[in-house]
Amino acid sequence: MQYVKKLLKARGLTSALFLVALFLVVGAINPSFLTPGNISACFNTSVVYTLVAVGMAFTLFIGEIDVSVGANIGLVAAVVGTLLRDGQPLVVACGAGILIGAVIGLINAWGVAIMKAPSLIFTLGVNGVLRGVLYVYTNGAWVENLPKDFKDFSAVTAVGDLTVYYCVTILVVICIHLLLTRTKRGRYFHAVGDNAQGATLVGLPTMQTKVLAYVICGVMAAVAGIIFASRIGFVTPQSGNGYEMKAIAACVLGGVSLLGGVGSVVGSAIGAVIMASISYLLVFMGFSSNYDNAITGIILIIVVVGDALIQHRSIVKNRRARLMARVSDGTTAADADAEKGGDAA
Amino acid sequence: MPKATERDQAVEVQSEEHLPTVLRKKDILLSVRDIHKSFGSNDVLKGISLDLRPGEVLALIGGNGAGKSTLMKIIMGIYSPDSGEVLIDNQKVDVSNPKVALAHSIYMVPQEPMLFPNMTVRENVTIGFDAKQADLDRELESVMDEIGWHLDLERKASTLSIAEQGMVEILRGMMRHSEILILDEPTSALTFDEVSALFKVINGLREKNIGIIYITHRLAEVFQISTSVSILRDGIVTMQGPTKDFTREDLVKGLLPPNAGIVKETAAKEARAIDYSAEPVLELQNFSGYGFKDVSLKVYPGEIVGLAGVIGAGRTEMATTIFGRDKVLGGKVLLDGKDITGLSTRAVISAGVNYVPEDRARDGLFRIRDVEENTTSALLAGSALGKAFLNVKEANRVADGYVKNFRTRVTGLEQEVGGLSGGNQQKIVIGRAFATAPRLVILDEPTRGIDAAARGDVYAVLQELRETGVSILLISSDMEEIVELADRALTMFQGRINGEFAKDQITQDNLMSASFGVTKEARSA
Repeated sequence: MQYVKKLLKARGLTSALFLVALFLVVGAINPSFLTPGNISACFNTSVVYTLVAVGMAFTLFIGEIDVSVGANIGLVAAVVGTLLRDGQPLVVACGAGILIGAVIGLINAWGVAIMKAPSLIFTLGVNGVLRGVLYVYTNGAWVENLPKDFKDFSAVTAVGDLTVYYCVTILVVICIHLLLTRTKRGRYFHAVGDNAQGATLVGLPTMQTKVLAYVICGVMAAVAGIIFASRIGFVTPQSGNGYEMKAIAACVLGGVSLLGGVGSVVGSAIGAVIMASISYLLVFMGFSSNYDNAITGIILIIVVVGDALIQHRSIVKNRRARLMARVSDGTTAADADAEKGGDAA
Repeated sequence: MPKATERDQAVEVQSEEHLPTVLRKKDILLSVRDIHKSFGSNDVLKGISLDLRPGEVLALIGGNGAGKSTLMKIIMGIYSPDSGEVLIDNQKVDVSNPKVALAHSIYMVPQEPMLFPNMTVRENVTIGFDAKQADLDRELESVMDEIGWHLDLERKASTLSIAEQGMVEILRGMMRHSEILILDEPTSALTFDEVSALFKVINGLREKNIGIIYITHRLAEVFQISTSVSILRDGIVTMQGPTKDFTREDLVKGLLPPNAGIVKETAAKEARAIDYSAEPVLELQNFSGYGFKDVSLKVYPGEIVGLAGVIGAGRTEMATTIFGRDKVLGGKVLLDGKDITGLSTRAVISAGVNYVPEDRARDGLFRIRDVEENTTSALLAGSALGKAFLNVKEANRVADGYVKNFRTRVTGLEQEVGGLSGGNQQKIVIGRAFATAPRLVILDEPTRGIDAAARGDVYAVLQELRETGVSILLISSDMEEIVELADRALTMFQGRINGEFAKDQITQDNLMSASFGVTKEARSA
């Protein structure tokens, strides 16, 4: 049990090992998989997932969730795609996209942190609204004919077969990780999720931290939306649908607790690679990639149920330990007290 | 009830004359002046004044609901007072939120430590400071050296014992250069050794001229650690002064209402004949579980047994364990001689035991359902209201019967119970428990948070029910209530039964002494 606990604690590491094992197993079944090209492809396809998952991790750290990222990606991809197609400069298009993401983050923060609505339901509602806006904005049509340069850039490689997108994403993840672990303010996110009341009592800006987490999540999803448009080359009104589940599963697999306060963005990024690889690996193992969603769901369920069990056990254990400590060790406590009291009086 | 001696009356007078001349106004760290606070119609604090000086350990004692926590929350800026003022270093301060209190060097170690379980000890102590981490680490080391207490700073807070968690909270307070430290029942979850370790730390802090407010339920600790003591009862300070001027008996007297003796005499007249040769309805034999140990007791037919004690004594845990909510660690529960130890809650109810929980709002009521649904909800599992389809007529008849008998003030059976007053809610919860025709009902603090009139109604209801032959185990921290209702009383202290009183021995004085762990040699005889 102790061993299992330790393993679960270092889940960022275990998920990396899991990823390696996954590649080796698939390679054993189908040796043609184990080429640098195929493995790089797994990493390259994970760019969008990674960015969303890292943003999602912030909302999970503070003990909340954001399921509006799917529609956020779709809307930003459509807006950026439309602007570029209509000849706007890249900077303007991307700026607009990121602004939309930040506004979505602020809306979520308003509902969850300030109005105290349950985050799952509030962001689900926002997701519906955003998807609706996307349909109205595109009139239900696809956004096509994006500039060739914009699309082609997604294939430009930086290191070996790894794309510029993926390499930059990795750098971003590392920077965020360092900011979270090496700065004092970075610690606030985990603290707020770990014990919100305690955070208030030691004087941390709880509300501000929550708002920031949602804005970061919104902006990361927006950046993911821009890269989505570049990689796929067209945007449908359904784009980004289901990415929230992938992102949550990536985080959970990478060791982020849905109860808040635990996990790292590096773990989430590794989880995102696993999520992105599933459909790719299925093909190499001779299955239809139609199983992708079901497998993602199963992984999510297994990890979350395990988490809940561990959490419940530790709550019961702590409660019982506290109760036992209150029980005096027998006949003498009251008498001993009486003697001392008598002496003092 | 012994008469108040001249000496008792002398200490009841609050004045500065009792304090050593060195500790006069000039040195006052914290002073609260005439604080009033009420919640709705409930006056919790009725003009409290306290002073705290450097190097003083002020023990603050008082029964449940005396206003200790409310007062501390006002000092910490969690509540704001209706009137009165808080002075820190002789300056009036508007403590509007915890940040203000922290900025004025006040730190409260809450009863349940507020740590970040997934962070290390170091992170827990140093989070929220603007200084450089290296400086903080150095300071932390020196603070730990000063109070002579060391702990692996890289351990996760979730692996710490409750005592260690409390120590981390104290370290946090020290790192803030707190001059005023509030400890809220710091020993309530500590073992004997841990208590000694904590007292060593407190003595160290005292030498550093830190002022400490020490809230406790344990009178022994007042004499072990405090330099002065204040007793709160019903929102007023009944006694205060240097600890050396008090005896345990004085403290107990300060905790009791002034008319305690009179109540006892009127109640004692009504002593009823209980057949103690009959087979007990409920018998506990060395019953142990989480929070209580080796409890043996008997409840006879038609008897109300009062179980007194302070919060955390283990009474609720014992009741809920009988009721199948937690694991039994040893011993037996017999209902009419039949073993019901460790059965599920469902099985315990159908065997004939019902439990009315302490917290109506959380565990008791279905707030947005109506009076009828609440009264009959415990019957849904059985077949009293029909097997598959609900016999609405019968349900209404049952509910209506309880509303009438208990004189519950409702507009109709369709009224949502969330909108009823506390007293009427409680009558519905009690009605629900009795609707299952139980042999025994355990009532946990049945009149907590209820006004005096409704309390009288609940008492009348319970006395009527007793006539029907149902036995009642009455858990209450309100000693007056036990004096009023119980045929026999037990007291629980630190998880064990430490006193038993026959009807003519049930006095608030006896119950209060035993609840606070004071053993007395046949004083009441």
